[in-house]
Amino acid sequence: MAERGTSRRPDHLSAVPDAGPEKAPEKGSEPADLLRAVARGDEKAFARLYDLVAPRVYGLIRRVLRDPAQSEEVAQEVLVEVWRTAARFDPARGSATSWICTIAHRRAVDRVRAEQSAAERLAFVGRAQVDIPYDSVADEVSGRLERQQVRRCLSDLTELQRQAVTLAYYQGHTYPQVAELLGAPLPTVKTRMRDGLIRLRDCLGAGVPA
Amino acid sequence: MIHGLIGPYVLDAVDDIERATFERHLRECDVCRADVDELREASARLADGAWSVPPPALRDNVLSAITSVRQIAPISPAPVRTARPRRRLRVVAAAAAVVVAVAGAATVASVIQNDRVRRAHDRAEAAQAAEARVRAVLAAPDLVVREEPVTGGGRVTVASSKLHDAGVIMLAAGSAPAGGKVYQLWTIRSRQPVNEGALAPGQTTSVQIVDGVSQASDVGVSIEPPGGSTTPTTPLAADVKL
Repeated sequence: MAERGTSRRPDHLSAVPDAGPEKAPEKGSEPADLLRAVARGDEKAFARLYDLVAPRVYGLIRRVLRDPAQSEEVAQEVLVEVWRTAARFDPARGSATSWICTIAHRRAVDRVRAEQSAAERLAFVGRAQVDIPYDSVADEVSGRLERQQVRRCLSDLTELQRQAVTLAYYQGHTYPQVAELLGAPLPTVKTRMRDGLIRLRDCLGAGVPA
Repeated sequence: MIHGLIGPYVLDAVDDIERATFERHLRECDVCRADVDELREASARLADGAWSVPPPALRDNVLSAITSVRQIAPISPAPVRTARPRRRLRVVAAAAAVVVAVAGAATVASVIQNDRVRRAHDRAEAAQAAEARVRAVLAAPDLVVREEPVTGGGRVTVASSKLHDAGVIMLAAGSAPAGGKVYQLWTIRSRQPVNEGALAPGQTTSVQIVDGVSQASDVGVSIEPPGGSTTPTTPLAADVKL
């Protein structure tokens, strides 16, 4: 808990239901501390970091890619990348969670775009017709506590802000694609994305779980 | 106005050319870098909204993969910096101050992408399937989730949204009913049971979307002969009050 004394903004991951038996975060168990230990080659710290961040990393990638097998593959790449480049994490620039999610999101988006341009996305239609696997839906619900705050804050955005932000973030669309999908001018979409993020930041910042 | 790309950049909604251009801009602009860092904290929280338990094999695979991956060395010992105070974005001022021409190539790239997205969009429209509906309901801002145990093991979860006037019933029973019988799902509307579908013999899990949940008071599960019944013939094995 030593880290809590500083004015560093709290790490959002501390709100995750802990995979381990201990409930209260002990010293050195925060993602930023773990990441620093990982940078020194500490494999045990990496395993604990994995337990904290994997549901977010995997969930985010899966939301963007949809295909479970591909998501698993990309999640593995991302988590190995976290191990490899842990030394690059700079706590002065943001939380460990945010650093890791940034890597995950970019990888997922890169993969979606590569797919879009490589094939005609034959699987696109097929995927939507597949029976709904129970597990994937149950997963959706299991993380609902984590989601509640984000969902509440998203609902505070204007319709256009929310659409612009979520189409880009959860579906990996570029802003010209978002403009096309929403039938809105490019400059408007750019502005809505920025304003949406600012509002989201203000809303989330007000109620960051301790 | 390259700075106008801050929102798309943070959301990874730019193409490679724009990304490179924007990052070049960031290297010369401390204020912009701080703005990006702040918005990144917000955008990363969107990952909360996608939280999903990974397959157990992923953990083993990752932990065994890292043993053969060499880490990059730290550039320098991590400097102890005082956290900067929280402050408002100075986007407008920065945007007014910085004017950078974007390469014409970016426009060409957008045109190609627009064409692609149109085709994807057409296909997506043609494929409005149950999964999309389920996910739409689950993503509703007013989603309410209720759960009850099923007699004989397992549970039934009902996630409903007034906005969508729809709900998703998720049944995960511990085991299939004995004697070749099946689980059947019901809603109770004006005290009358309405059939919401029977499972196949041996089937223990199901995801079912139901419309008009605002008129339903309960979601029930009963055990019925194969093919289901028109009204429950056994006491409900689970009853979720809405």
